Amino acid sequence: MEKKTNLIHCALVVVLSLCLVSSPVLAEDNSVSVNELIENSADYNGKSIAITGEAIGECLERGNNAWVNISDGSNAIGIWMTKEEAEGITYYGDYKYTGDTLVITGVFYEACKEHGGEPDIHCSAFKISKAGEMKSEKIPAAKILLAAGFTSLALILYMTYRQLLNKKPERSNAD
Amino acid sequence: MKNSEISVRSAEIISYYAGFVILGTSMLMVIPVVTAILSREWIPMLDFIISMAIAASLGLIFVLLGRRTKGHSSSVQWKHGFAVAALSWVMLMFLCSIPYLLSGHTYSYLDACFDVMSGFTTTGLVLTQDLDHLSNALNMWRHMLTFIGGQGMVVLALTFIVKESSGGYKFYVGEGKDIALVPNVKGTARIIWKISIVYLLFGTLVLWIAGLLLGLNPASSLLHAIYIFESAWSTGGFAPNTQNIMYYHSFLYEAIAMVFFIIGSFNFGLHYAVWQGKRKEFVRNIEIQSFAITAFLASVLAVAALSKTGLYPDAVSLYRRVVFNVLSAHTTTGFGSLYARQFALQWGDGGILIMVIAMLIGGSACSTAGGFKGLRVGIVFKGIIADVKKLLSSERSMRVYKFHYMKDIVLEDGLVRASALIIICYMVLFGIGTLLGTFCGYSLADSAFEASSVTGNVGLSIGVTSASMPAVLKIYYIFAMYLGRLEFLSVFALIGMAITGVKRIWKRKQI
Repeated sequence: MEKKTNLIHCALVVVLSLCLVSSPVLAEDNSVSVNELIENSADYNGKSIAITGEAIGECLERGNNAWVNISDGSNAIGIWMTKEEAEGITYYGDYKYTGDTLVITGVFYEACKEHGGEPDIHCSAFKISKAGEMKSEKIPAAKILLAAGFTSLALILYMTYRQLLNKKPERSNAD
Repeated sequence: MKNSEISVRSAEIISYYAGFVILGTSMLMVIPVVTAILSREWIPMLDFIISMAIAASLGLIFVLLGRRTKGHSSSVQWKHGFAVAALSWVMLMFLCSIPYLLSGHTYSYLDACFDVMSGFTTTGLVLTQDLDHLSNALNMWRHMLTFIGGQGMVVLALTFIVKESSGGYKFYVGEGKDIALVPNVKGTARIIWKISIVYLLFGTLVLWIAGLLLGLNPASSLLHAIYIFESAWSTGGFAPNTQNIMYYHSFLYEAIAMVFFIIGSFNFGLHYAVWQGKRKEFVRNIEIQSFAITAFLASVLAVAALSKTGLYPDAVSLYRRVVFNVLSAHTTTGFGSLYARQFALQWGDGGILIMVIAMLIGGSACSTAGGFKGLRVGIVFKGIIADVKKLLSSERSMRVYKFHYMKDIVLEDGLVRASALIIICYMVLFGIGTLLGTFCGYSLADSAFEASSVTGNVGLSIGVTSASMPAVLKIYYIFAMYLGRLEFLSVFALIGMAITGVKRIWKRKQI
């Protein structure tokens, strides 16, 4: 009887472990960086990994799928996901916006056969850990002053140039 | 006393023309200002107004200092042409870096100067941080610099600003271009610009449509099309995003870019000849023959080397990851369809060696490409064959050896020697760069790859070029890009004139 219970316990532990391994782990702590993936691409190739990064640029739709590029600060990489998944992303980072921060779980390929040998990640799940936003652009007063000052200087020099160079050229001895 | 007067005159000539070049470049900053206004990027707009005003002021000061030159353009000598080109490039590097510095996307002024020289020389190496959040204005500026640098800034400024045309050819040659398409240099420069602008319009349209097809929105597709065309045509290699050409994940986009960077690496003389209906020139030209042979060999060898690793499982992968990068290296473009470190980690010594050789050979003379050029490789190769034939033939036989470069040219010893000399200069520059890289702690393969990339004005990186690399290496790379683009003579002339000037001042003080 005890043996049977032990066997059931063991089986449960194995099943639970397998579930944990195969199910997406959406934890930022376990994330690898893009550079780490590239440096150790052979080790990570074909394996499920978690990566955290900001969605950048824009969504590039391809039929029912889409490319979303993410940057983790070290580098950027393309994430291949469904169009529906991509529609969940609101902000993409550029000069004016900070993109949504995504925690992605997916399979990394060092030379993806489906995508012409490109290093990429095929997304299996993702969540937005931090929503993006529009950046505020506060214009520094110092820059306005500098622009006014240097523009004035350029105008003064231009007036001098007009005055001096519109005169007839001097005859120099060197000629 | 007479000597010192001549020296003052030289300084004035250089100051006058360099001033106009600076002034012309400052005017170009209007384009990023307009881009900033259209994109509602107010801080970048101010950055460019500040930079433009500083550059214009300095340009005007230089013109005013050399104002006695006005009306005496006939006194421009070869040394002045070379010195103006070399000095203008240095001055412009410092001035055009100001918007980078003000944007806060570079860690130091040195990094900003590095990126500007990389743009001007159509190299394409990047130290600017966080490219994905760069303003449209700064992106426009980066790509404009590489486009203009490819055609020649000095020629552009002097052609359109300075009315007097005599002496123009000396500036033109000083900037590393030596083909006369029509008898006068203004006409030649205008043809170069006409060819480039027609291609710019056509290329932008093609890439814009491709961008729309691959999911970019119309406005950003247009901007990406302009950036990628400018970069491809000038064999520059800059791109608006960190992932470079990989950002688009598109075979179509890569294929279009490849067509334009190959065409861009061809001689402007060849473009002009083909435009005039002389299509046979395309087949007979020694540079095209040389490029076809070396590009084919490099691609085949790289594919063979990478096939053995089994990394790229099919023909499409091998084409997109291997052939694309080899041709990008050979044409000195620098678009990368791989991460920098992948070259070091996956390509092996054989693959790296092929890339180094391809980067050093480069594209065509009088094109936007770098390297020691297919023309020189062809001339030296034909020279060797001619020498071997002379050795084997009877002493009494007198055979004239020729090659075809726009017209049939006699292969003279002096020409072979001059070509070999420039190749040696490039190899010395590459050797010093490799040595310096190893001194700074990088592996031999990494150092050689990066040194060939800067020497040949390519822009592909194996991972050495980063903001954290030693300052001495950054300075050397700037110098190597500059020397490589101007093909040594102009820089040597500037250094020679500076030394002569210092000597004269020293002698005068002693008297």
